[in-house]
Amino acid sequence: MKSMNNVTNLLSSCLGALLLLGCNNESIVSLSEHSVIYCAEGSPETFNPQLVTSGTTIDATSNQLYDRLIAYKGKENKLVPALAKSWHVTRDGKKVTFYLRKNVAFHQTEYFTPSRFLNADDVMFSFNRILDSQHPFHWVSGGNYPFFQNIGLNDLIEDVEKINEYTVRFHLSHADSSFLANLATDFAIILSAEYAQQLMQQKVKANIDTFPIGTGPFKLKEYRVGSLIRFYRHEQYWQPPAQIEQLVYDITPSNTGRLTKLLAKECDVTAYPIAHEKITQHKDLTLEAVTALNVGYFGFNVNKPPFDNKLVRQAVSYAINKQVLLDAVYQGKAELANSLLPKTSWAYNENVQEQEFNPILAKSLLEVAGYAQGFSMDLWAMPVQRPYNPNAITMAKLIQADLKNIGIKVTIVSYEWNAFLHRLQLGEHQSFLLGWSADHPDPDNFFSPMLSCSATQTGSNTTFWCNQEYDDIIQKALQTTNTKVRKKHYAQAMKILAQEVPLIPIAHSKRYQARGNNVTGQVLAPFGGINFYPVAKNGVLQNNRIIESDDDDFDEVEHHNDSDTEVGEN
Amino acid sequence: MLIFTLRRLSLFIFTMILLTVLSFSLSFLFPGDALVNMSGAINATPAQLTNLQQSYQTQSNIFWQYIVYLEHIINGNLGISMASQSDIGKEILSLLPATIELSLAALFVAMLIGIPLGFIAAIKHNKATDNIILSVSMLGYSIPVFWLGLLAILTFSITLGWFPSAGKISLLFEIELITGIQFIDILLSDSPYKWQAFSDATAHIILPAFVVAMAPATIFIRLARTSMIEVLETSYIKAANAKGLTFQQIIFRHAIRNALIKIIRHVGLQFANLITIAMVTEVIFSWPGIGRWLIESIYHRDYTAIQSGLLVLSCFIFVVHIFTDFIYAALNPLARGK
Amino acid sequence: MARDKIYLEEVFPSPFMQHWQIFRKTPVAMAGFSCFIFLIVLAIFGPILAPHSPVEGQLDMLLLPPAWHADGNVSYLLGTDELGRDMLSRLMYGTSLTFGLSFVVVITSLIVGVVIGSLSALTTGLKSSFLNHFLDVILSIPSLLLAIIIVAILGPGINNTVWAVVMVLIPQFIHITRYAVKEESRKDYVLASRLDGASKFRILYYSIFPNIVDRIMSQATLAQSAAILDIATLGFLGLGAQIPLPEWGATLANGLDLFYIAPWTVYLPGLAILFAVVATNLVGEGIRHALKLRKDR
Repeated sequence: MKSMNNVTNLLSSCLGALLLLGCNNESIVSLSEHSVIYCAEGSPETFNPQLVTSGTTIDATSNQLYDRLIAYKGKENKLVPALAKSWHVTRDGKKVTFYLRKNVAFHQTEYFTPSRFLNADDVMFSFNRILDSQHPFHWVSGGNYPFFQNIGLNDLIEDVEKINEYTVRFHLSHADSSFLANLATDFAIILSAEYAQQLMQQKVKANIDTFPIGTGPFKLKEYRVGSLIRFYRHEQYWQPPAQIEQLVYDITPSNTGRLTKLLAKECDVTAYPIAHEKITQHKDLTLEAVTALNVGYFGFNVNKPPFDNKLVRQAVSYAINKQVLLDAVYQGKAELANSLLPKTSWAYNENVQEQEFNPILAKSLLEVAGYAQGFSMDLWAMPVQRPYNPNAITMAKLIQADLKNIGIKVTIVSYEWNAFLHRLQLGEHQSFLLGWSADHPDPDNFFSPMLSCSATQTGSNTTFWCNQEYDDIIQKALQTTNTKVRKKHYAQAMKILAQEVPLIPIAHSKRYQARGNNVTGQVLAPFGGINFYPVAKNGVLQNNRIIESDDDDFDEVEHHNDSDTEVGEN
Repeated sequence: MLIFTLRRLSLFIFTMILLTVLSFSLSFLFPGDALVNMSGAINATPAQLTNLQQSYQTQSNIFWQYIVYLEHIINGNLGISMASQSDIGKEILSLLPATIELSLAALFVAMLIGIPLGFIAAIKHNKATDNIILSVSMLGYSIPVFWLGLLAILTFSITLGWFPSAGKISLLFEIELITGIQFIDILLSDSPYKWQAFSDATAHIILPAFVVAMAPATIFIRLARTSMIEVLETSYIKAANAKGLTFQQIIFRHAIRNALIKIIRHVGLQFANLITIAMVTEVIFSWPGIGRWLIESIYHRDYTAIQSGLLVLSCFIFVVHIFTDFIYAALNPLARGK
Repeated sequence: MARDKIYLEEVFPSPFMQHWQIFRKTPVAMAGFSCFIFLIVLAIFGPILAPHSPVEGQLDMLLLPPAWHADGNVSYLLGTDELGRDMLSRLMYGTSLTFGLSFVVVITSLIVGVVIGSLSALTTGLKSSFLNHFLDVILSIPSLLLAIIIVAILGPGINNTVWAVVMVLIPQFIHITRYAVKEESRKDYVLASRLDGASKFRILYYSIFPNIVDRIMSQATLAQSAAILDIATLGFLGLGAQIPLPEWGATLANGLDLFYIAPWTVYLPGLAILFAVVATNLVGEGIRHALKLRKDR
């Protein structure tokens, strides 16, 4: 059957060229053998991940175009060297020194030809752009660096010092156990200072974020808004070059469109596939899933009545049948969430009580709160599919039915995605369905950006819930590296959340991806964006790439914490 | 012919004025500020706004504003898109050719299928063949095009795997946009994969072209049938018959030519119909044409894009209309007097 | 008040009745006509007859296939969608939206169009010439495109769709009425009643209308099939009926995401549209056929 299809395929494709030339299949095969088409769910907002938190943009940029100083590796998410071949943290945790790799080349493209390799200036430039509001590039593209503002990098980093051409030292105001984890995220990428210099001279500073230059395994060739992104392999990559020559992002927002293209073999890999059964039944396709660190939740705007009342929030949390939501929205393929943290996180506390479904208790809580007759509210449902919530509108309809039982009338509201986020940040909503995908495995990445007081300012905490006790606890948890102590603090924080209910965690879901069987290599990661570097096609066998250190003095440097002496130049 | 030309010219000018007035008044009818709707500058600073006010002369009276608006259009300045902030003129220039390409391919298919079938039906008038052709054509005329497109994708792309389901060429081929008409661009390009690209593009256009062609083909069947029946009843056919020509000779030498002329007249009207069907089909086959772009602009409430897109599209349809009128007049001297 | 016939009189049926006599002898046309009547009945009584609610779903009955399928359930004859909503009920409600609304749309635009058309047929000179030009331009734009344009101006929604289609169809009725009235006016019997001193409107009402009503009916069926397709297409494109309205085109678009796991959510609304359009077109064909036969007599 398959060979039949191939024959007809061949026939039909030859039909057009028949009159002009015979079929020359060899070259077309070689073209597709060295190329991968990825069906992406949306267009990136920019080509600089420093500027965003959106998963779509990260997927299209971070791992493809750029590198970070350090990276995550393996199942335990250990920190390993990347652009920095080693690093060193002083005992007080206040000075962090990075020793850069030599001979790392930037992309050579139609718009830029590098004259030198990566050095300390590039690192300085990349971080100073974020930290220093006087920096000539700080206000280019709006001056918003949401990830870094959420984690308070401005207050944390006092100074970035260039020790020599290949050594950079960060001076911190206090010890922060998540600092290294934050530097390994998809946001902390290294830009080219030389390219920035060139753009300054040409007076087109904004190009730094639209015509990107990085050190990553692929370089940008072409971008057609809303249609495609074309990458070519970076031949002078500091690791062995990628196996595929061409990487194309086919931007297909329609869920069915992406599946159709996958089934018709027009894409090799597709993001967020629907109809999982159809893919698993198909013999040429593979459905992959990673347990992503995320949480989908139902949040309240605590600034708006009646949700300023803790009892009302508790009542609503008792009235929702999460199991039904899980079955209908996630097709039972997600884990029921009892707290912000997924069970896979090391800080998860087994003693967190399970939220029970109890409409009678809910009703009586409402009576105590003075809403015996119920009330009407609006519920904002996000318009797009994200890993933590594949179908918010459906979920909203189900919640609507649940809440009707305790006398609450729900109106469902939805806007176009960017407008939706913008209006949430303005606080126009009463309650909303949203979620959070972790940027790195540190548990703080759930607690701080989602619910801290400072996050109400940067717009990532749209419940506007601000609790001093909670803030103190998560601050304390950051000031130590002792995981046992941290775990205790986080357990306490979760207890407060269970009492206060600024949001109702609903599910921890997997992130799905589907691909043709001829594509090999790990693309998905449990957190952060996808990575096409290890991908190859047509089953050409790959030896597992290991990040090699080109210098002998590399060993597990992160354990040097016990020495107080600073390692000087190497 | 001169009078004919003058008449068409006056109709053309009349229509252009009507269309531009309509388009101009749209910027006032749409919600929001007329100037912003016209220019698309939603994030303009006060200084830029003053500049725009100057450029569009919003202080002067409405008639003068219209003249200035015309001037902008003639200079190719259609404003910028509210959604993507890119130049609409350029966007349309890259999208319109794709729609034309698809519509032309579909027109070709529709004529190639519809006209011979119509002739056959006419020759077998009131026989079983005629009835079958008419029934099938009614079915083809009744089927919703978006549903047909979906069924075509399911059958030919997924089950059989014969044709691709989306786009106008595999994205692996890097073809530079020169004319916007894919096939010409491919021939002009110096890609080493030129001929593969060409056959790939052919495979991509077949499915959408047939789907678009379905409804117009049924109309061509009816047109061809009616005009052939009429021709067969004329006296010159009877004369040819009396001369002793065989049936085949009559059909091929006399009837087809005369029947065709009558059909050509309708091609212009059908082209407009085709473009509309193509707009819907573009959405289903992700064809990067102006229809899909326009419908997306409606979703995004991108008023500048809607306004300019409609103007360009309707002008284009009208120009084609007049153009086919001329061809008809050139072929058929009798029509010039009308 | 019935009057007994005292003596034998040859009955001359009205043109409309003559037409009906021919029409009902064509089996295919009658089949189409019965389907058409069926759809009208369904459009009126569908909401009463529907077994389930079209908007509220049964959460334990998600994505149920139609009853003839092995996993089907007889109480959900045509299966359910992703929210457990009964497809049959959705289609029945959809009949009043897609088919019923298009019927209302056609009647409305027919009345407006015929009134304007017959009035304009009585005018001559510059006004008439301007109208001619104007109609030429409007009619050269395909109805769907015009509907899209109008919806683009008014904004998406079912109400705006209805207005758009009404506005699109009116010029067609104006055109056909105007043309038919002008043609009829040239005939001798009209001249006769004019010589009798009948007023313009009297001629129009008593002499011309009975003779052009079949042509207008024929145009109405064309308009009806165009209206169904336009409303459904706009619904499909998301420019017409908005969720959760069970309009056929919108239901089909809603089923798109389920195309590969629950294909009936796409097949059924599509078939419903096809059925309605075919029924309408059969009636239209029947009328045109009768028209031709009556002329040939």
